[in-house]
Amino acid sequence: MVEVKNLTKHYGKVTAVNDLSFEIRDNEILGFLGPNGAGKSTTMNIIAGYLPTSSGTVNVCGHDIKEDARAAKRCIGYLPEIPPLYPDMRVEEYLRYCAGIKGIRGGEVKKEVEKVMKRLQLTDMRRRLIANLSKGYKQRVGLAQAILGDPELLILDEPTVGLDPTQVAELRKFIKTLGKDHSVILSSHILSEISAVCDRVVIISKGELRAVDTIENLERKMSGSPILSLTVEGEQLAASFVLGEVKGIKEIQDIIENDDGTSVFKIQLEDEKVRQDIMAALVEGGINVVEMSMERPDLEKVFLELTGKKK
Amino acid sequence: MFSLYKKEIQSFFYSPFAYVLSALFMLIFGFAFVNKIASMQTSVLQFSFPDMFYNNFFYFIFIIPLLTMRSFADERRGGTEVQLLTSPLTITQIVLAKFFAIVTVFLFMLLLSLFFPIYVALHGTVIWSSLICGYASFFLWGLVCIALGMLFSSMQSSPIIAAIIGEIVMEGFLFLDQFAATKMVQSYPHLNSVVTWFSMQRRFVFFAQGMFRLEDLVFFLSLTALVLFWNVLYIEKRRWNHR
Repeated sequence: MVEVKNLTKHYGKVTAVNDLSFEIRDNEILGFLGPNGAGKSTTMNIIAGYLPTSSGTVNVCGHDIKEDARAAKRCIGYLPEIPPLYPDMRVEEYLRYCAGIKGIRGGEVKKEVEKVMKRLQLTDMRRRLIANLSKGYKQRVGLAQAILGDPELLILDEPTVGLDPTQVAELRKFIKTLGKDHSVILSSHILSEISAVCDRVVIISKGELRAVDTIENLERKMSGSPILSLTVEGEQLAASFVLGEVKGIKEIQDIIENDDGTSVFKIQLEDEKVRQDIMAALVEGGINVVEMSMERPDLEKVFLELTGKKK
Repeated sequence: MFSLYKKEIQSFFYSPFAYVLSALFMLIFGFAFVNKIASMQTSVLQFSFPDMFYNNFFYFIFIIPLLTMRSFADERRGGTEVQLLTSPLTITQIVLAKFFAIVTVFLFMLLLSLFFPIYVALHGTVIWSSLICGYASFFLWGLVCIALGMLFSSMQSSPIIAAIIGEIVMEGFLFLDQFAATKMVQSYPHLNSVVTWFSMQRRFVFFAQGMFRLEDLVFFLSLTALVLFWNVLYIEKRRWNHR
């Protein structure tokens, strides 16, 4: 669907994006993750054909964005960070205009606009001036113009910024349904959003590619040896003795004492199965176990590690 | 391309913009008209429309930039430029659609001003040849100004500054004759011929006499095309320099 090869972009002396290569498959939602200023918007602007590349190629639906820009742009629906709206136009009027500049033919325009308005529940707002819409509705109108004409590729640049939690949930659900018959690139700096919606993630930082993989794979790669979090009641020392007897424990990383008389042990295991031995030993030693859980490094940890914010 | 044209036209006519500007235009025209009538000699009882047009050029260069100032500056400000440039439209199409939309508004204003000659025709005689040529010169000069105004609009993200720069440059164009008439320029015949070639007033003289010369038509149209092309290149260049 989209192939990005060795994409580099300089702004004067500043390198915004450096040697980025990845691909977007058919009908997949690709998350584009990175801290602010990592080059997310730049990359998306380049894929959408707004900015030219300094070097490297972008191929959208078999058309090179530089050589065959018009054909490539026809398969793209783009929602930039700031939705491109004219405040003094009415919703329907605006969408008809968008359909027009996208090259949708006269007879199709009305049908297409109706379909999109229905899909985004804008039908009741059709006569409203865009200036008078709430932020949530503006974002919807922005999304509506992106999906007009059913482009094969949708590029959504931080679509949920500034929306309230219900709207965010609605929008995510909508994007998920879009992913069934479109390829979607979704950028965000919100990790939970990416892990909730996307099939694969591209993590970039300072313009460089850090990882391209599915979320599960990324988490697995990061995890290394599993960590067990164990909360027990009573004497810390007693528990420590019992734990000392169990084989397969690599290291007790941390012991936190809580105010209510419980202690939390962070234990690094050689294998996840050691968990059962620990449990048995604790029961035998007469120690009350309050809670026991395996800690998985979530996307957040992966992200911080890859973007180099945490040592 | 037609939908962009339509949107531009709507942005003029669905808002007070076109009407307020037309009112201003008619006011200026009306003043010139009344002045001409008031200063008529009792023995001659005639005045020339081309003369009126000529006076109006100086006011007019304040109106055209107001028409053109928003064309690109507003798109840039509102973030809608991204949409235009990522649509399948080419930059040439975008520039032309906007240009023709403004030309349409301009024609609307000229149409309104027909009130004066028609009024005169009802009560006296109008020399149609010089009137038509007067309109032609006004229209052609308008095309150049619109192209220029749009160029400055695409160079600026503030419409007001775009308008002011446009006014300065158009004013400069009108005063090229005075510049050409200076001793300094006259002492360099080559420079003089170039400056004079670009001067507008010299061309208006022919129009005022009811002469429609192909040379002038080519001059105005090619200048317009040149500036529009410059605009296309400028937008393309800005894509590369974007930061």
